[in-house]
Amino acid sequence: MYETLVAAINMLGLIAQQSAEAGSTVAFPPAAGAALGVGIAALGAGIAEGGIGAAAVGAIAEDSDFFGIGLLFTVLPETLVILAIVVIFIV
Amino acid sequence: MNVISRDASNYSYVNARVRSRWALLLDADEYDTLTRMGPSEIARSLGESEYGPEIDALGSRHSGVDLVEHALNRNLARHFDDLLEWSQGTLYDLISRYLRKFDAWNVKTALRGVYSETDSGVVDDDFIRAGEFDEALLTTLEECGSVQAIVDALAETVFGDPLADALAEYEETGALVPLENAVDRTFYSTLLRGLNATTESGTREFVKFLQAEVDFRNIRNAFRLARSGASIDPSEYYIAGGRLFEATELASLVENRDELVARLRESRYSEQLGPALERLESADTLIGFEHALDTALLGYADHLSHVFPLSVCPVLAYVLAKEREVDNIRAIARGREVGLSGEEIEQELVML
Repeated sequence: MYETLVAAINMLGLIAQQSAEAGSTVAFPPAAGAALGVGIAALGAGIAEGGIGAAAVGAIAEDSDFFGIGLLFTVLPETLVILAIVVIFIV
Repeated sequence: MNVISRDASNYSYVNARVRSRWALLLDADEYDTLTRMGPSEIARSLGESEYGPEIDALGSRHSGVDLVEHALNRNLARHFDDLLEWSQGTLYDLISRYLRKFDAWNVKTALRGVYSETDSGVVDDDFIRAGEFDEALLTTLEECGSVQAIVDALAETVFGDPLADALAEYEETGALVPLENAVDRTFYSTLLRGLNATTESGTREFVKFLQAEVDFRNIRNAFRLARSGASIDPSEYYIAGGRLFEATELASLVENRDELVARLRESRYSEQLGPALERLESADTLIGFEHALDTALLGYADHLSHVFPLSVCPVLAYVLAKEREVDNIRAIARGREVGLSGEEIEQELVML
C-alpha cells in the first residue's frame, strides 16, 4: 500500500522534472499542484480515518454512549483536508 | 506498529472492543464485596453484573457454588468466542492458536471423565466451549465410553497422532499422565508452528507474548522442582520456546535456588518479578510466590499491550486477565462455601 503511494509520488516528481527540462516557462501548472496536494491530503485523511473508524465502531458496539466521541475522533483527520483546501485559494 | 494492516487483520476494531470488555472486569473493591458474601449471594450479585445471562440461563438447574462455577465457564466461553467472531486475517489465526488451549483443556476433561467414570452430563458442564472444537465433536467426546474411543474421535484433529502414540504407554501403565503430557506438548508445539516472527508484522508481538508466558511457566516449574528436591530430571518439565532459560541451564539452576533468584533479578522481567521474589524470601511459601508470579505475568502482559497497542497483545492480555478473574471468583465462592475468612480468601486472589 505505502510502496504504491511512494512510487506514484516519485513518478509525479519525475514528470515535473522532465517538463522543466523541456524548457517551458511553467513546468507544472500551479493549479494542478494544488489539486494534487488536496488529493493526497484527502487520501492520507482517509487512511487515518479507516483505523479510527474501525476502533470507533468497535467501541460503539460495546457501549452506544461512545457514539458522539467516536464520531468526533473519526472525522478529526478531516481537518487535514480542510487545511489542504486553503492551498487552493493561495495559488 | 501496524497502521494499515497488510493482511485483512482488524486490530483497531478488535482492540477497541477488547478494551471496552476489559473495563468490565472486576476491580479490587468488587472482589472485596464478594469476599464478604455467601455462595448464593455471590450468585445473585453476579447475576446483576455482566455474568447475568449465564446466571439466568443456569439458575433453574443449579444453585449456590455450582451455579457460580458453571456460569463462570460459560461466560468465559462466550467472551472468547466473541474474540474469534470479531477478528479476521492473521489476527484470527493468532487468537485461534492461543485459544486452542481450551481444546487441550476439553480433551483432558474428556479423558479424566472417562478415567473416573463420570456422568457425561457432568463432563459436558465442565467443557469450556472457547476453542476450535465444534459442538458435534464435543458431544462425541462426552459420549465416548473408553479412552481408546476418545483417541479415535480425535484422530482428525492436531491431537490425534500424539495421543495415538501415547496410548500404548497409557495401556501399559494405566495412568493418564502420558496422554495429558501428549496433549500439552501438542498444544505448545502447534502454537508457534509455521509462524515467521522476523518478517511478518503482527506475529512478532504474538511470539514475544508467548515467550513471556513460556518463561513464566518455566520459572514456576523450576521453583516447584527446587522446592520438592526430588531427583526428577528438570528437562522433562522444560517447555521450549522461552528466552530466559535453556534446558541444560535450568537443570543446574534448580539445584541452586539462590542462583535462580539472582538470575531472575537480572532478567528482563525483574521489574514485574520484584514483589514475587520478595514475597518468596520473606514468607518462603510457594503458593504465595506462585500467586505473585501470576500477578507478575499479568503485569508483564499489560506492559506488552501498552508497548504494542495495535497488535494481538491486548487481546491475549485480556484473555489472561479474564481467566484470572474467573479463577478469582471461583476461589471466593469455594472459599466462602467451606467457611474461609475474608483475609484467607484474599491471599488466594490474583490481581494487578
